[in-house]
Amino acid sequence: MFTKTKIAVLAAVGIAQFTSFAQAETVLNVASAGGQNMVDYVKTYLAPKFEAMHPGVKVNIIGTGPGDAGSHKILEKLSAQQSSNLAKWDIDVAVVHQKIGGQMVSEGLLAKYRSEIDTGKLVSRDSAKNALGTNVEGYVMPMFHSQTAIAYNSDFVTTPPKSYDELVTWTKKHPKAFGYNGIKNGMSGVSFVTGWIYAYGTDAKTLSSKPYNKDVESNWGEAFAKLKAFNKNITFTPGNAGTLDMLNRGEIFMGPVWVDMFYSWKEQGKIPPSMKLALIAPGMPGQPMYYVTPTKAAHPELARQFIELATSPKVQAEGIVKRFNWYPGIDAKYVKSELDSATWNKLFAEITPEDLSQYGKSFPIASYFDDIKEGYERQVSN
Amino acid sequence: MHFKISKNLWLVAPAAIMVAILFLYPLCFSLYSAITLDNGSFTLEHLHTSFELYSNDILFTILIVLISVILLALLSTIIAALIVLSPFRSVVLILGVLYRLPLFIPFIVTAQMMRTFLAKNGLMNNAFIASGLMTPMDTVSFLGWSGIIITFVWKQLAFSTLLITGAMSALDESQIRAARNLGASRFKILTQIILPQIFPTLGVAMVLSTVTMMSVLSVPLMIGTGTPTMISADMAFRVNSYGDYHVANALGLVSYAICAGLAWFYLRHSLKDKGATA
Repeated sequence: MFTKTKIAVLAAVGIAQFTSFAQAETVLNVASAGGQNMVDYVKTYLAPKFEAMHPGVKVNIIGTGPGDAGSHKILEKLSAQQSSNLAKWDIDVAVVHQKIGGQMVSEGLLAKYRSEIDTGKLVSRDSAKNALGTNVEGYVMPMFHSQTAIAYNSDFVTTPPKSYDELVTWTKKHPKAFGYNGIKNGMSGVSFVTGWIYAYGTDAKTLSSKPYNKDVESNWGEAFAKLKAFNKNITFTPGNAGTLDMLNRGEIFMGPVWVDMFYSWKEQGKIPPSMKLALIAPGMPGQPMYYVTPTKAAHPELARQFIELATSPKVQAEGIVKRFNWYPGIDAKYVKSELDSATWNKLFAEITPEDLSQYGKSFPIASYFDDIKEGYERQVSN
Repeated sequence: MHFKISKNLWLVAPAAIMVAILFLYPLCFSLYSAITLDNGSFTLEHLHTSFELYSNDILFTILIVLISVILLALLSTIIAALIVLSPFRSVVLILGVLYRLPLFIPFIVTAQMMRTFLAKNGLMNNAFIASGLMTPMDTVSFLGWSGIIITFVWKQLAFSTLLITGAMSALDESQIRAARNLGASRFKILTQIILPQIFPTLGVAMVLSTVTMMSVLSVPLMIGTGTPTMISADMAFRVNSYGDYHVANALGLVSYAICAGLAWFYLRHSLKDKGATA
């Protein structure tokens, strides 16, 4: 009995030793929130490139799950390591959503690194300075920008609506032909509802900047009542992909989608070429993902080099724009020269850069955002 | 003797500790979080919010689960009876393989399958159209409450049929033969000899299926559309969207209560049966 236990213990110790040998090379831990496509992007595209440039370094990618919840997990982990006073934290680079990025900066979890890397000055977007009301200047590098818009089947819809008002009139004429996924089944629906509040409640500018004022919400009663009436004329879809599925099967002819998902599906032939995009007035929200590095990252130098590679014009052109159809995180003019005109035109064919700057809004600050979602639950779906 | 007891305790310890750490502790913690504020003081606010915002969803969940369980009981009893009583052995063999299939398919795969099968222009409707039974104008989407029920019943059918067939085949065959000798029809054998004896197993299958259905998130998320939706989707939404664990736990408390209600109903029934026969 005892000999057996001894053997087992020895074996365990032996294996432990062996694994520690196997990990003797430097490991750069990259945690990425967001869908599987983002994890795949880092794993299959960025990591091999970085490992080739830095022999002896292995990039270890951890996906923490889609949506703000995924970013929240990274925040929780760093914050736990901070409060237990660890000298070195085990995440070197993190990819997080805008809302949580701001929160991480205000909790002092992130290093101010942007001025230390060469690509830092290529950034022009406002979201690199301001994350839903929090000043994040210097702490974040946008990885890409993603945008929601209305997709429609141009075979059946010849004059797509240009504003929320026109959309409402259109759905009255064509009941059940517009579809979205409510607010519980994915962000494209949440985004549509947020745009609705920008149109009929309070403008995007007020809601996307501080200070927060609880009273603002009280003006939204009419907007929600209007949305409830609107919901009677439409079809509900099961999720972001569900909307695209139903568009593809011809069950609906219009619906809000993520632009990058739309282009990827189109490229893979999962939706017909007759599908087009329109960004309607007064605008729909989109959001960046940020590259950040924690204050006490175990490999601060490597982390900076990793982000530098990821935000270089070449990688942004090849990886972000060409492969994944995202809008670049750094200023588009540095990316354009790296791309052939066909790829460039494809990205901006339906939504022009002017549309994007005019109607591409940010999400509201966290408290207003919660008010919108709770208001919807209370007054529209209840 | 004393030595023996302590040795037995040691044997139980690993399992008991696992249950305590992985089940009892999280359970107590979630119950505690459902009825306390962040500072630890007692409150009913979260339960109030749950009922205020989600009372429709709670009702919807109960209805969905009840309808599914009733359909499930009916269908699985019929299939089990066919397997046990049918004289056509080849049919029984095929049925025996077929009904087990869903057992090996995870819920999320089932949901994805049903999503393309039940949609308005999905596989099922297209098959009807192609065979000339329907025109494209008549098709209806089953995504929504009916789709959720179809998915639950399809998936749980294997499990409950397996339990019930097992119970039916374990019965003493001489009873069935005796009844047959006395001229009882197959239907009479089922309702008067078999069913009363397998009732406890049927109960177990239904209670376990209820608990499973209450806990599935993928199906309401992938097949359910808009509102109302099931409690599990609301819980996920509270956590993912607001980081609000309190109300999510309060909703959890509601679903414990629903399951506990059913379990109580079942236990009372089965204990009464035992009391009556003793």
